[in-house]
Amino acid sequence: MTFLARLGAPVRGFLEFLGDQGHLVLSTLRHALLLRLDQVAAVLGQTRLQIRFTGLDAFLLVGGTALLLGAVTLIQAFSQLSGLGAENYIGVLMVLIILRELGPLLTAVLVIGRSSTAIAAELGTMQLNGEVDALVLHGVNPYQYLLLPRWLGVLVALFALVVFFDAAALGGGFLVAKLKYSVTFGFYMDSVRQTLSNRDFVATLLKVVLFAGAITFHACHFGLRIRRSQTEIPQAVTKTVVSALVAVFLIDGLVAALFYF
Amino acid sequence: MIELRELSLTDPEGRWLLRDLDWSVLKGGKWLLTGPSGAGKSRLLRVLGGVEQPRRGTVTVGGQRLWPGEGAMALLGRLRVGFAFASGGLLSNLSLRENLALPLRFLGLPPAQIQTRVEAALEQVGLGSVAALRPHALSGAARRHGNLARILALQPELILLDDPLEGLDSADRALTLALIQAWVADPGITLVLAQEEPGPFAEMIPEHLHLNAPIPSLETP
Repeated sequence: MTFLARLGAPVRGFLEFLGDQGHLVLSTLRHALLLRLDQVAAVLGQTRLQIRFTGLDAFLLVGGTALLLGAVTLIQAFSQLSGLGAENYIGVLMVLIILRELGPLLTAVLVIGRSSTAIAAELGTMQLNGEVDALVLHGVNPYQYLLLPRWLGVLVALFALVVFFDAAALGGGFLVAKLKYSVTFGFYMDSVRQTLSNRDFVATLLKVVLFAGAITFHACHFGLRIRRSQTEIPQAVTKTVVSALVAVFLIDGLVAALFYF
Repeated sequence: MIELRELSLTDPEGRWLLRDLDWSVLKGGKWLLTGPSGAGKSRLLRVLGGVEQPRRGTVTVGGQRLWPGEGAMALLGRLRVGFAFASGGLLSNLSLRENLALPLRFLGLPPAQIQTRVEAALEQVGLGSVAALRPHALSGAARRHGNLARILALQPELILLDDPLEGLDSADRALTLALIQAWVADPGITLVLAQEEPGPFAEMIPEHLHLNAPIPSLETP
C-alpha cells in the first residue's frame, strides 16, 4: 500500500503537469483566435522581441556550433571509412546525421539553454513583482500578451535557426570534404540532394513545431507557478531545462519512429 | 457591483483571515477596508480583483462570477478595473508611458485617444517628464503615482486601492488624496480602499469594513 502511495504521488504530479500543459496550449490557441485587429500590434511587438532574443541573438552560437559539428562529423567519418570510398557517402552521412537528427535536436537544446531558461526566469520575476496580476487586472489578456508572442517568437526563431544550423553544418562538412578529397561544391550538394526526400522536410517541420511548443510551454508552466520568493526562480529554471530536454528527446524519438521506422 | 457570499480566506499558514463573510457593494459605492497588518485586507482586494482564489465562497463582480471560476479572466472586456498596488504592479520592460498605454490598446481605443489620455494622466500626477523611463529608474513614490496614473488613463468603473498613502511624503500624500477625493465624488466609480487605519479617509469614505487579526485555525481549512 505504501509502495502504491509512493508511486501514486509522482504519477499524479506528472498527470497534473500534462493537464496544465494541455490547458496552457488550448487556452493560448483559444485566446489567439479571439485577438482583435487593434490588439495585434501589441502582440506583434512582443513577438518581435522574442524572435530577436531567441533567433537573431543566437545566430552566431548556432552557426559556430553547426559549422564545427558538420566538419567533425565528416572528419570522424573519413577516419573510419578511409579507403572504402568515403567520399561517395558524404551526402548520406550529412543527411542522416545532421539534417534529419542533429540539426533540429541540437538547435532545440541550444534554444532551451538560452531561451526557455530566460522565459521561465522572466515570467517568474513578473509573477513575484505582481506584473502578471497587474496585466490581467487592467484588462490585458495574459494569454495574448505573454504566452502567444513567446510561442510564436520561439516557433519562428527555431525554424530559422534550424535552417541556419543545417546550412552551416553543410558548409563545415563541405570544407572538410574539399580539403580531404577535393570534392567540388556541385558534387557535394548533388550528393546531399539525392539523399534528401520530401519526408525529411515534413519530419523536420513537424519537429520544429512540436519542439517550439514544448520549449515555450514548459518554460511558461514553471515560470508562472512561482508565487512566493526569488529562491523559486532558479528551481523553476532547472525544472524547465530538465523537463524541456526530456520532452524534446521524446518528441524527436516519436517523430523518427513515425517517419523512418 | 460586488457580491460576496460565505467568503472565507486563509493565510499561507492556514489561519483564518475571514470566515463566511457576506458583503455587498452597490454600483458607485465607496468602501474603506481597515484592520491590523496581516488581517487580510490586501488579500481581499486581490480576491475582488480576481487574481487570488478564496478558500471558499462565491465572488461576483460587475455581474460576472469570479470565484468559483476563472477569476479576473471573467472580467476581460466586460468591466474596466483599476488597481493600485502597495508595491510593484508596473511592467518592468516597458516605459511608464507604455505601461499606461498597454491596457488602453487592449481596450481597443484609437491611438490618438490613447496618447491624449496617457499624456493627460501623466501630467496630472506630475510624471510627464519621466514618462520615457522604465519603472526601475523611478522613485518609489513615482512608481506609486504611476499606478494611479494608469487608473486615471483607464477610467475604470471599479477602483481597488491597496494602502495608497504608505511611504509617501506630505506633497505626494496631498496629490494622492486629491485624486482619491475626485474618485470618491464620482458617482460612476465604485471604490474599495484598504488601509490599516482610517486616517484621512474616515470622513471621505463613510462605509467601513473592519477586518480583525487572523484567527488560529481550529479546523482544517
